[in-house]
Amino acid sequence: MRRTLAITCAAALVLTACGTKGGGSDGGTEGAGGVTTDVGVTDSEITLGVMTDQTGPFKALSTGITHGNQLWVEDVNAGGGICGRDLKLEIVDHGYKADTAKTLYPQIEPKVLGLVQLVGSPVTAALSEDLEADEMTTTPTSWSSELLSNPYLMVVGTTYDVEMINGLSYLQDEGMLSDGDTIGHIYIDGEYGANGLRGARYYAKQHDLNLKEVKITSSDNDLTNVVTGLRGQGVEAITLTTTPTQTGSVAAANKALGLNVPILGNNPTFDPLLHNSPAAGALDNLYVVASSVPFSADIPKMKDVAQKFDAAGYTEPPNAGVPYGYAVAEVWGAVLEKACENKDMTRSGVHDALQETTSADTGDLVAELDFSTPGAPATREVYVAKPDASVKGGVTYVKPLFESEDAKNYKAPHQE
Amino acid sequence: MDTFVQLVVNGLGKGAVFALLALGFVIIFKATEVVNFAHGSLVLFGGYLVVVTRETLGWAGAAVVGVLSAGLLALLVERLLLSRSRLASPFSLALLTIGVDVIITEEIVRRLGVSLPFIGDAWDAQPLQVGGVTMFRTHLVAIVVATVLITLFFLAFRYSNWGIAMRAQAENKEAAALSGVRSWVVTSSAWLVAGLLAGVAVLFIATQDFSGAGLSRGTHSIALAAFPAAIIGGLDSTAGAVVGGLVVGLVDALSTEYVSFAFAKSAVFLVMLVVLVVRPSGLFGTKETTRV
Repeated sequence: MRRTLAITCAAALVLTACGTKGGGSDGGTEGAGGVTTDVGVTDSEITLGVMTDQTGPFKALSTGITHGNQLWVEDVNAGGGICGRDLKLEIVDHGYKADTAKTLYPQIEPKVLGLVQLVGSPVTAALSEDLEADEMTTTPTSWSSELLSNPYLMVVGTTYDVEMINGLSYLQDEGMLSDGDTIGHIYIDGEYGANGLRGARYYAKQHDLNLKEVKITSSDNDLTNVVTGLRGQGVEAITLTTTPTQTGSVAAANKALGLNVPILGNNPTFDPLLHNSPAAGALDNLYVVASSVPFSADIPKMKDVAQKFDAAGYTEPPNAGVPYGYAVAEVWGAVLEKACENKDMTRSGVHDALQETTSADTGDLVAELDFSTPGAPATREVYVAKPDASVKGGVTYVKPLFESEDAKNYKAPHQE
Repeated sequence: MDTFVQLVVNGLGKGAVFALLALGFVIIFKATEVVNFAHGSLVLFGGYLVVVTRETLGWAGAAVVGVLSAGLLALLVERLLLSRSRLASPFSLALLTIGVDVIITEEIVRRLGVSLPFIGDAWDAQPLQVGGVTMFRTHLVAIVVATVLITLFFLAFRYSNWGIAMRAQAENKEAAALSGVRSWVVTSSAWLVAGLLAGVAVLFIATQDFSGAGLSRGTHSIALAAFPAAIIGGLDSTAGAVVGGLVVGLVDALSTEYVSFAFAKSAVFLVMLVVLVVRPSGLFGTKETTRV
């Protein structure tokens, strides 16, 4: 009898465990306000996940994004929440390691409706199938256009390839580059680097540039010998899809070796902490491309977020992650409101709401977004910014939102 | 040609620091036949003391504290752990040093948290131009300091009682003990000197010029990258450590340009393998002979 009871309990536990695993496709249950819910939503709370990097190479940017997410949550909760429910974040640190993220994901998955932050191309690639199977709408803090094949990934901003195309157009428009020139592209092995390189290759083909490619890993921090080699090959510019530490090394070597060519980086290549490093005096040739505004941007929404950031008393210095993190959450807010309106806050309901989002307004923190074309970046507009130690966030933009002709004509890898 | 000359200059500058690190491995191996895998953690410990005392003592004072602390820690590791396992084989003691290395390194990395402090304040990112070639000041100072320290070490090794005692112990430990050489003095002083050298080396490693990054887990990896330098030169050869250090620096710089950046990381180990196949005791290591 006891044995039968034990087997029955074990079977019940297994069935319960299976029942909590992911997916909203099985309908969910009706909750408060007549809204259907499944994972991560109760009658009083909506829980969103944050899988971030607090200890790896992008910890500073990721921490800024998390602060942006938190500021938005506080704002929304102060205004009564969404769909009559307060928002809550569940935060875990994977240290930019795909294997750690693989271990953490099953722990966080049963608790959250979606992921408002998932840092890192390698991590996103490792979890991509799980996210799709669990219908987990996710905002990757990775702007690779390769991710756009997964309909559950909501890339807020443009992608690395488009950033690079726009950035190179900017250099050429400003007379820093001409058709037929030689340029060097240093990129991290993996999806992040490969996607930046894809943009550089496209632009090089359109403008007959001689592109010298150098592949590195995220832990290669001294690039002096690489820059020495590029100097020997007569490069007119260096483009980067690297970590901020690597950007510091390239900038320092560019100056020390007397090369002094413009350096163009994708949005994660810069961190304001570089202003406190020995490379600080060598950042004057650096240009950073992003579709979210710098912390110092002179627009009402940014000023509001900056004020809230200061009031929150965070010990880490602000960076471009703060406005981006706030904007991403703002897009989530728009999607959740739509899901609430549709009376379906299950995971599949949220996904449907995302695809109905043709225009998400973030108060210009990020260029206007349209998620309705599968496989295409939600925007192709970028800002170009330069390091500036005198402003909070460490960068100030030198060119407002724009979209180059080359970026407009570019076809992203999964674009239909 | 400009590129080649610049790469040689870059390689020699780095090689000087690798020589300091490799000498640390060699001194301990020569005195005790133990391969010290905790060398990377001694490097990190010296650097960490610079970071925590810099604000109160100023950079120069903190640098002295860092160097002395690394030496003291090495001495303590030997006195408190290794000397108590006198009957253990050198292989067991080498494994013990791996344990020590993991504990110290993880604790320092945890304490450093998100910061990556650069600690070469006096010379970092202040390059000099000499005849169209860029000389990184960190490399220049490292070459001078390494030359002075290595020369001092050679002189002491050759002419002082300490040096003679160490050579005697390296030749034959039992015979040296019978001749009145106090083994524990030789052993502990070897650890002390190796620790001091680690403390000096980190002042050059955690710089923009050398590693492109501040004090971090990467600093530890660089310290271990000097291990091939010691093997190439010969684990029991002090002169070999210097040559091995320079070979590592040059191979790294030149293979980056003339083969590929990805290959450069394995190139050093490839050279090590070739040396081991051709001369199993390293370029300058003592050949083991057995009478039959």
